[in-house]
Amino acid sequence: MSASPILEARSLTRYFTVRTGDGGRRRKRIVRAVEDVSLSLRPSRVTAVVGESGSGKSVLARMLARIVTPTSGELFLRGQPIALGTKRGLDYTRDVQLVLQDPFASMNPVHLVRHNLERALLIHGARRAELPARLSGAMARVQLTPPESFLDRFPHELSGGQLQRVSIARALCVEPQVLLADEPVSMLDVSVRLGVLNIVRSLADDERMATLYITHDIASARYIADETIVMYAGQVVERSDGVTLIDEPAHPYTQLLIASVPDPSDPTSVASPVVRDEGARLGVADVGCRFAPRCPFVMDRCRSEEPPAFVVGSGHESKCWLHRDGAVATPVKVANSHEGVPRA
Amino acid sequence: MTVLEIRDLSVEYGLGEAAVHAVRHVDLDVPRSRVLGIAGESGSGKSTLVYGFTRLLRWPGVVAGGSAVLHVLGDDGSESDVDLLGATERELRSIRWSQISVVLQSALSALNPVRRIAKEFDEVLRVHRSRLDRRGRRARAVELLEMVGLDEDRLDRFPHELSGGQRQRIMIALALALDPQLVIMDEPTTALDVVTQREIVDQLFELRQRLGFAMIFITHDLSLLVELADEIAVMYAGEIVERASAAELHGAPRHPYTLGLINSFPPMHGARQELVGLPGAPADLANLPTGCSFHPRCAWAMEICKTESPKAQPVGDTGRLVACWLHDGIHEVPVELRRSVPERHPL
Repeated sequence: MSASPILEARSLTRYFTVRTGDGGRRRKRIVRAVEDVSLSLRPSRVTAVVGESGSGKSVLARMLARIVTPTSGELFLRGQPIALGTKRGLDYTRDVQLVLQDPFASMNPVHLVRHNLERALLIHGARRAELPARLSGAMARVQLTPPESFLDRFPHELSGGQLQRVSIARALCVEPQVLLADEPVSMLDVSVRLGVLNIVRSLADDERMATLYITHDIASARYIADETIVMYAGQVVERSDGVTLIDEPAHPYTQLLIASVPDPSDPTSVASPVVRDEGARLGVADVGCRFAPRCPFVMDRCRSEEPPAFVVGSGHESKCWLHRDGAVATPVKVANSHEGVPRA
Repeated sequence: MTVLEIRDLSVEYGLGEAAVHAVRHVDLDVPRSRVLGIAGESGSGKSTLVYGFTRLLRWPGVVAGGSAVLHVLGDDGSESDVDLLGATERELRSIRWSQISVVLQSALSALNPVRRIAKEFDEVLRVHRSRLDRRGRRARAVELLEMVGLDEDRLDRFPHELSGGQRQRIMIALALALDPQLVIMDEPTTALDVVTQREIVDQLFELRQRLGFAMIFITHDLSLLVELADEIAVMYAGEIVERASAAELHGAPRHPYTLGLINSFPPMHGARQELVGLPGAPADLANLPTGCSFHPRCAWAMEICKTESPKAQPVGDTGRLVACWLHDGIHEVPVELRRSVPERHPL
């Protein structure tokens, strides 16, 4: 680990209470959206959080941006504890900026791009005289040149890829130290995704940006991450330095996830180790390991006791009973539960 | 043995000068019991193409020209042709669902939210399989659900009580209810998680193997297509720019756009290296560039590309078609676009 973290989260947890109408009776139910997630965002490092829909990854990003208040847990900015539950204030938003999935929904559509960017700067106390220079600077950092040809257009006049760059430029123009990017490329056309990913990577490399990259696209995480975290049902199930966990997944869920990714360069990936029980698939266990109902290796202990994170390699942890007693560096390979799909 | 033959099909939105040319001069053949993949980004015309020849297009969409013929195989093995673009509503009704069925991306909006699932099956079977009584229809519905890996009790649920993957499985079961010869899948897994996508794709393949229907699978995810399609057509700005077997197309692309698209997917193996992808943005259909519509983004664009649009020509002797001036036999083909197909592809 290099420099000390800019933004650090310890045991962040967020529960939501939902009311379900059930036969006329209203019941309350607790949804454990994020539970006990700790992470550190350091300068020049991209931390990728990989998870499917409903895994809690966006709630995590919103807690880090202080849009959602955690139920419990601690947040530190440059080592200083943040009083959660208070108003976040301009200092925090200047340092920590959030970029969202849909750039069209993140811009005011009735104003020019220029207005959208200037507003961010003015709110943060910029003087009018310095606006043009700062806007040009921010646009250059996301490779939108010449800036004028984009600034004086309306958001709908730009393509998705261009507007997402504008959205990143808006985040950058207040000179943040932390960039939280929540699925920044998943709405973009395939051919322009790489351009935006390369910008995220170069901000970390060239400007020491501490970056959180949230995605469901494992291949893109493998492309830019310095540290990778896999979330399942609100919890971190596996984490590793670099992309070790993608190349050598230890946790059964990660193995399932990676085996499911279409991979034309690996013809053996056709068969997937899936537990085909639709009924169980919807359920997330309340006690024990949350993945137990779907896990091909489930043991009695998994159903009653929640596993802690075990070290399985250098900088590599897995929250699975299979890895207790330091079953180091022996990632279990998932056996194919059925024959490969016959090819025509 | 083709099930569908499309020739010179063009589809436009709007009329006259203001028309948007969404699909331009597309030729396609779908062989019986095979999978044709159509890959393209949003706005490339891949869905419009399907809506065009299935006659599901709504105003202001109009089929501007071309033909689409469905070869229907009768029970006795005889073939009869249906001219899809000339067919009357009555004729269309007799082949829709029973010969051609479509599965759309959003299963939630395709299922009626205030009806139980059983009703959807019951209705189609009552109309098209009138000899079945109520119990027979229910039995057939249970059989169809079992085929896609769902339990009988799902029949009595409402769509909102099911997960996205379960709903999409129901759409697939419905599409197969009348044993169609051609099933069209329009981004059926795009809204789903990768694990669910994998399950559904595997299931589709088992079913196709067993039932022998032909499939058109539309997606923007080229890596998925390489795994599941026999042949892939790549669309850009309303045209098919390259068509080849899956292994050839992915292992040895010939069109610069195909190459760029493949390079836009970061790999799951090997050393990490910076990828460039494609510069610029996808072509604006309302304001197409002159000549080849890909030339503004093409690294090898020549003078001729700016003025004249290339026609699809056979390249090599495997039936591959490429619409690119680089492959006209006169110009030097860049080394990236004349690689041979790697051996390791067992597809």
